[in-house]
Amino acid sequence: MSDKTENTAKSGFLPIETNWFDRLFISVVIWVALSLFWMRFIEPLGLSVWIAAAISVALGAHIIRKG
Amino acid sequence: MKRSNPWLAVLFWTFLSFLTLFPIYWLFVISVKPAVDLFSTPDILLTAIDWQNYVKVMNDSTLRGYMMNSLIISTGNAVLVTTLGFLACYALTRFDLPGKESVFFWTITNRMAPPAVFLLPLYLLLTQVYVIGDFKLADTHLGMILVYCTFNLPFAIWTLRPTLDGIPKELDEAAVVDGASAWKVISDIIFPLARPGLAVTLILTWVFAWNEYLLAATLTNFNARTLTTGLSEYVTTTGTEWGVMAAISVFTLIPALIVFGMVQKHIVAGLTFGAVKG
Amino acid sequence: MQSKKLGWLLLSPTLFILGLFGIFPFIYVVWVSFHEWNPFAANPEKLFNWAENYRKVVFDAQFLASLGVTLAFVFFAVVSEVVIGYLLAQAFMKNFPGKSFFRTIHTLPLIMAPIIVGSIWKLMTTPSIGIIPNLLDTWFGIDLNIGQSALAAFSITVIMDIWHWTPLVTLSLIAALVSLPSDPFEQAQIDGANKRQVFWHITLPMIRPALIATVFIRLMDAMRTVDEVLMLTGGGPGSATRYVGVHIYKEVFPRTNYGYGSAISVIVLYLSIVICWLLYVSLIAPRNKKG
Repeated sequence: MSDKTENTAKSGFLPIETNWFDRLFISVVIWVALSLFWMRFIEPLGLSVWIAAAISVALGAHIIRKG
Repeated sequence: MKRSNPWLAVLFWTFLSFLTLFPIYWLFVISVKPAVDLFSTPDILLTAIDWQNYVKVMNDSTLRGYMMNSLIISTGNAVLVTTLGFLACYALTRFDLPGKESVFFWTITNRMAPPAVFLLPLYLLLTQVYVIGDFKLADTHLGMILVYCTFNLPFAIWTLRPTLDGIPKELDEAAVVDGASAWKVISDIIFPLARPGLAVTLILTWVFAWNEYLLAATLTNFNARTLTTGLSEYVTTTGTEWGVMAAISVFTLIPALIVFGMVQKHIVAGLTFGAVKG
Repeated sequence: MQSKKLGWLLLSPTLFILGLFGIFPFIYVVWVSFHEWNPFAANPEKLFNWAENYRKVVFDAQFLASLGVTLAFVFFAVVSEVVIGYLLAQAFMKNFPGKSFFRTIHTLPLIMAPIIVGSIWKLMTTPSIGIIPNLLDTWFGIDLNIGQSALAAFSITVIMDIWHWTPLVTLSLIAALVSLPSDPFEQAQIDGANKRQVFWHITLPMIRPALIATVFIRLMDAMRTVDEVLMLTGGGPGSATRYVGVHIYKEVFPRTNYGYGSAISVIVLYLSIVICWLLYVSLIAPRNKKG
């Protein structure tokens, strides 16, 4: 039923059916949240915020492919 | 328990209505209280009526100017968004445009964004970027009319779409077959049928524009200042003239109360983006 | 072919205005938020400085405090409104004389300007002229002073919000309750279900979509509350009622530190977008699972 209306939508491990834009959006949201959190709590300990970016990109790639 | 006796329900709702109406009544009481009585023990009942504060507001040329600005801006904005929303909805319901649902959904996000977030960018854009020669949009009627589109235009599209969906497409198709131009179809066939919906949209957007405060307070200085900003200015500059403050509030409230009866049924559907049919 | 062009032509003024005053400001504020920009500083130009502004925001105690009180305000206001609104909606389901009249009165606050609501409640609660502190004092000996007590000011803003917006919840839940079919309720009565079971297993699942929509709309509206609070307390006393919108208007905007202000605006916008998107998903998701 739904693949007639939105042929790119699929359901992966995320609890809802998503198209590529939804997954990209989720990834960006996670990136922002993680970066802010990192700058507040982990960066003062000496770990660069780029690590958070790297984690987010890896996570984002996973979400976009498998979500 | 309550089911058995409808009069208990009436009693309950009378009490609730009292809670709803009392603050408005109190506003009126303060606005007509003689200044000498103001700080004596607050009386619930009116003992004397003194129109002094209303006279003061009417004689204040600055406030009269603000009132005029409010009228110009909300009327201009309501007419503009209703017209544009009507045309946009006509396009959305009659043409098979690729991605039109995304366009439709995107418009609503404009209304959901918190206005406080847009204070800074709109201020910077209106004073520094959207400038043509010496003409700046900041502190002009036109600028405010356009800025209010950000929340009123999505609203107009949202409320007008069901109206236009309800007008059978066969009507305009038949007219096109008869050789009518697109403009003629819109003005002679669709417009008369959509008139009730357009009226509701016009009234509600007018009230929203009239009620707006935050954007007007930051994006205007004097030329296009509205009555709502006048009210807050009055509080901060003079502080204690409660009676006049109440009178300005009553003036600001009156238009909303007048149109309330006409659009009462549509308010809830409008405020919930059509999620609720009211 | 021709007709598609006409369609876009009719849409174009709308898209143009919303682009100019909706989308472009959004892009612009994100762009500015990555710059050091203060027109009254030694260097009034925009200087790109990566995420430096955000680094400052996450340590800004004032801003975080304001986020905290905002969340508390939103929580207390929305929960009370939903509970009261639901009870009132149920009370409206019975027949009694003058029903539509009471309903009309109940709708009245919805159309009032937030700033007027603020001014009305200021007149009600200011100690020297307001009726509420006066009655509380004579009847119970309670001293209510929204200018001094943080708790009093906070509570009054919540009560004001309840007064202003509960009708929206009531009316949308009435609409949902009216459209419910009666069969499941009759069946439940035959099966001998008690009131609580009926509520949890029949009423709640059936009004869920309307309930979710209403709750999220209220959440977003409560999060951006500015006008009423600005008028009533001005964010005070101290920072007790300085909700994020008030914070931006009173503390961030006048400081002309545009880059930093933009970063705060972007974070607030980020939070609202996430909430908005959750609303969208929670309305769509149950439908998708069925299909």
